[in-house]
Amino acid sequence: MIKVLFFGPIADRVESREMQLEFTPGMTLHDVVSHLGMQYPGAFGLVSFIAVNQTQVHDKQTLLHDGDEIAFMAKFSGG
Amino acid sequence: MSAPVRIQEADFSQDEEIAALKAGSKRMGGIATFLGCARDFSEGRDVHEISFEAYGSMALAEMNKLRNEAIEKFSLLDARIVHRVTTVRAGDNIVFIAAAAEHRAAAFDGCRWMIDELKQRVPIWKKEITPQGESWVTPHP
Repeated sequence: MIKVLFFGPIADRVESREMQLEFTPGMTLHDVVSHLGMQYPGAFGLVSFIAVNQTQVHDKQTLLHDGDEIAFMAKFSGG
Repeated sequence: MSAPVRIQEADFSQDEEIAALKAGSKRMGGIATFLGCARDFSEGRDVHEISFEAYGSMALAEMNKLRNEAIEKFSLLDARIVHRVTTVRAGDNIVFIAAAAEHRAAAFDGCRWMIDELKQRVPIWKKEITPQGESWVTPHP
């Protein structure tokens, strides 16, 4: 399974903080982004950063592995 | 002694953080600190409370990385970063940053750099609760 996390305004728009996706071999970050982006276009318009296993990832062709954790994040506003 | 980098709900004591910093070395000639606190007014509206949310594991890892980079970049003797993640009211403490160095210039520069980088790099979000409703804060430069 792939664990997907949403934070801040993105979580509000998805109306969920966490979901699980079925892992399939060869799955890329792009697959997850396009799948969820279609379901939640309003939320994905706010995504500024994506992390896989707590590390920011810029390449959407990144290959995923079973058990990975993906986080979709809006611009940070801490401090 | 508490860890030099923390995310916590509870308030912190600046005196205790500074004492912990000073305990590590007698070579410090200057300690610069930044205290971020909650304002009661923002973007033309009264603000009653500010609610924080963090991607805890990533935020803590990034804050530790940031501290290590600051120590290296500005030749600091030590540094501390504490960020609260909870709901705060106007006047409450939010974030504390301290940079200790042999001389003041490095302490000032390191402290400023850490709070600027924290705002850019650390996955924490704030929501303002106003009489008109709640809204997520758009980052300030």
